[in-house]
Amino acid sequence: MIALIALTAFERRAAHAAFETVFPGPDRGSLPYGIADMNLDEFLDDTLASVPFESALGLRLAFVFLALAPLFFIGRFATLMSLGAEDRERVVERVYASAVYPIRSTVVMLKAIGALLYCGDARVRPLIVRGGAPVAAVRESAALVPLRVRAKALTAGEEASRVA
Amino acid sequence: MSLESHEHEHTRFPDEDLPAGAVVDGAALTRDFDERYDFVVIGSGASGAVAAHTLASAGFSVAIVEEGPYAKTRELKEDVRGTFKRLLRDNGTQVLKGRVFMPMLQGRCVGGSTLINSAIAWRIPEDVVDDWQARFGVGDGITMKTLEPHFEALERDLNVHAVEDAVLGENNALFLDAAERKGLHATRMRRYERGCKGSGQCITGCPNGAKQGMSVSYVPWALATGRARVFCSTRALRVDVAGGRAVGVIAEANGRRVSLRARCGVFVAASTVQTPNLLRRSGLRARAIGQHFQAHPGVGAGGLFDRPVRMDFGATQGAESIALRSSDRIKLETIGMPPELACARVPGIGNELSSRLAQFGNVGVWVTNIRMQAEGTVGTQWDGRDVVKFTPNGADMLSARKALVLLGHMFLDSGAREVWPGVAGLPAIMTTHDEVERIADATMDPRGYSFIATHLFGAARLGPDPRTSVVSPEFEAHEARGLYVVDSSVFPTNLGVNPQHTIMALARMAATRVAERAARSAAA
Repeated sequence: MIALIALTAFERRAAHAAFETVFPGPDRGSLPYGIADMNLDEFLDDTLASVPFESALGLRLAFVFLALAPLFFIGRFATLMSLGAEDRERVVERVYASAVYPIRSTVVMLKAIGALLYCGDARVRPLIVRGGAPVAAVRESAALVPLRVRAKALTAGEEASRVA
Repeated sequence: MSLESHEHEHTRFPDEDLPAGAVVDGAALTRDFDERYDFVVIGSGASGAVAAHTLASAGFSVAIVEEGPYAKTRELKEDVRGTFKRLLRDNGTQVLKGRVFMPMLQGRCVGGSTLINSAIAWRIPEDVVDDWQARFGVGDGITMKTLEPHFEALERDLNVHAVEDAVLGENNALFLDAAERKGLHATRMRRYERGCKGSGQCITGCPNGAKQGMSVSYVPWALATGRARVFCSTRALRVDVAGGRAVGVIAEANGRRVSLRARCGVFVAASTVQTPNLLRRSGLRARAIGQHFQAHPGVGAGGLFDRPVRMDFGATQGAESIALRSSDRIKLETIGMPPELACARVPGIGNELSSRLAQFGNVGVWVTNIRMQAEGTVGTQWDGRDVVKFTPNGADMLSARKALVLLGHMFLDSGAREVWPGVAGLPAIMTTHDEVERIADATMDPRGYSFIATHLFGAARLGPDPRTSVVSPEFEAHEARGLYVVDSSVFPTNLGVNPQHTIMALARMAATRVAERAARSAAA
């Protein structure tokens, strides 16, 4: 197995921006923890060191691509890292909605790999596995793919009163 | 501490108390090894473990070579990341490469993929045997009649029975109910298990030793004969072939050379992906090596209900339907997915993803496995690694589409609020039958679907003609006497049902015959 050298600072910042957009914290998500609350750096280093060369290379290319995606998807000469949370989400959603398989696959790959850390986290996993409070449907349109998301998460208390 | 924890603490699992010296941990090897056995078996999964047990039970000495570690029951945890890293080949990142990349999970540990599968027992369908007879000339050696005693023995040994009420779980119960509403015959799965507690952890290895994977059944049973030894964390490099005969296996562990000489023969049970290249590395050159790869790729849908489904309880896979197997090459089944694996198929990112993960306890997942007609190849890529190329054909895509439509309707019929079909170009979330019906006109491009490669076959096909097959109907390589291939790489075609039972039955039959011949030869 050929190990790739460590992520560059640019790739690492891009990875953080992308993963934190996919798995947000309570400020933009419905769960009380985001992937930013976990040891993402250690996870990335460990993952890159233990997967085959091709997979590691693919992941790094995905980070670089997503870092530069604002230029192609919202026409802004900026990196993903330099955008605010809302714009980042817009960019990543558009990449995810791309009709081009290798492009949308970058986000699918992020979800698949990030889930190993995020959904496996000891604080988050029980909330997911045993969760089931009927949060109001977030679907806002019958668009071909999900384009926009509900802005604010409900707290557990709000949710309970809503259900009641 | 709960009563169950106490019980667990006092339970002795079959992978404990193994005979002294029966397990050689290659990772800790500090010297070269050179030993002689009657038989050497490469691989400890469904076929290798059964073959090794059969040979050892017949009185022969056996060395089992396993590339991965021996993960004991007591070490197994509901830890998908840890399981992937330690027990799956390439950390679970293997893919079939074709027009679409299909993830492919293979166990790389003692027990092979039986440690991480759902222990589903299906006898080979009669129409498949008929086809093998008619088109591939497998002869009188492989018939329903010759296989029957082996299936019966396996079912006794591994306690095959249908999923019981107590561990059915809601995901499986909903499926059975939905199938009935649709008029589809569906049944509870028959599985290899003793005392399933419905932990829903088949995919990360049963923490209760209930699932009868090979690491808690035939491997320890073979070791218990006192005539078998397993070399784990030891990678077979090649079969040593001299004078047209297999005479041993050259392996490597922790930088040390492990030479295992075989007086009677070598069994290759390394899996459809690894066996073809192992044969090539061993000097075999048959044109059919690596050809005719087939699979049952799976694609699934999620359903979000207004009430708990809780896939973390119940048989991981407990309900199925083969009603459309003959007409459409479709098998429908349930799978209780841990969120770590299901997440990529949950709609959205950001809050949309987050809010649905928060409702994951209300989600069910049902899938279809397609008996695809397409064939692929197994080869070696630039860095020496195994590479499988495979792309579904048009007929396969029609089947996949039809199955997804059906699953979508079944979810809605059973009260799901949302269906997540995961088809590019269509709504990620469907709530009405009309929306589901749109899948029938969805893209035929396989890149529009989230396939997972399951059940792998072929690439070292069995048959009488050395020009078109790799091993004879007696499972012996045409090019090397005493070299037997007994995993699913020898299957002339895929089956349309889960293959583990057939893999084991064929391996048992092959090993029984070889052992009988070797015993006669020794007596003479």
